[in-house]
Amino acid sequence: MRGVLGGLVAGSSRMTIVDLEAGLEHLSRGTARHVETLFVVGEPYFKSLETASRSFSLAKDLGIANVRMIANKVRSARDEATVREFAGRHNLPIAAVVPYDDAVVAADERGTALIEYQPAAPSVAAIRRLADELLT
Amino acid sequence: MKLAVAGKGGAGKTTIAGTLARVMAERGQRVVAIDDDSNPNLALTVGVDTAAAAKFTGIPRDMLEERADAEGNMRLELAVPAEEFIDRFGVAVGDRLTLLVMGGPNHGGSG
Repeated sequence: MRGVLGGLVAGSSRMTIVDLEAGLEHLSRGTARHVETLFVVGEPYFKSLETASRSFSLAKDLGIANVRMIANKVRSARDEATVREFAGRHNLPIAAVVPYDDAVVAADERGTALIEYQPAAPSVAAIRRLADELLT
Repeated sequence: MKLAVAGKGGAGKTTIAGTLARVMAERGQRVVAIDDDSNPNLALTVGVDTAAAAKFTGIPRDMLEERADAEGNMRLELAVPAEEFIDRFGVAVGDRLTLLVMGGPNHGGSG
């Protein structure tokens, strides 16, 4: 199916947002060629950040020029410092820091979209800021 | 703008991708959110109810065709323009956002 995904991303006149397979192992060079920006989501603990760092390497190998990290489930200033320190050391640009948010868990339990469950949730606000940055 | 979101299971990749798609549509963008995960659940985070999402069982074979790529390997590609494909197989979420589910175990085009 890899040719189909690439064809959709390349051929659509719309903004495309692809929720990829967890690893990047299945992403073909042909599809990657059409991806302008890849966001790698990582959590603020070492193992997750290591995994994110590997995804950065894979993405670069696939030729994706703009790869940025979204730090998710950030609970404290200390969490944020952990992410920023790791990212700085590995030269991984950070696109957004999304706070840990009970609304995410609650929406999930209810089977509801987060943005409908709590449109002003702190996690949604962080994603709104990212969207605004991307659109300017 | 062509964006993709990757991340380990449980990291929140799908919540972020789906919410970003909704926010972009709110901001006036026409958006297609594509679920390429083999365990697709982007539907939930963009706000398509699970009953509707359960109807996505794959893409008819006649929408796809096999072509040789540059290395001579055969691969499945779209047999119709991307926009037509999205209109036909996507699920509308409000006025500007469309969800398209690619992955999943029942995918008609896999193999």
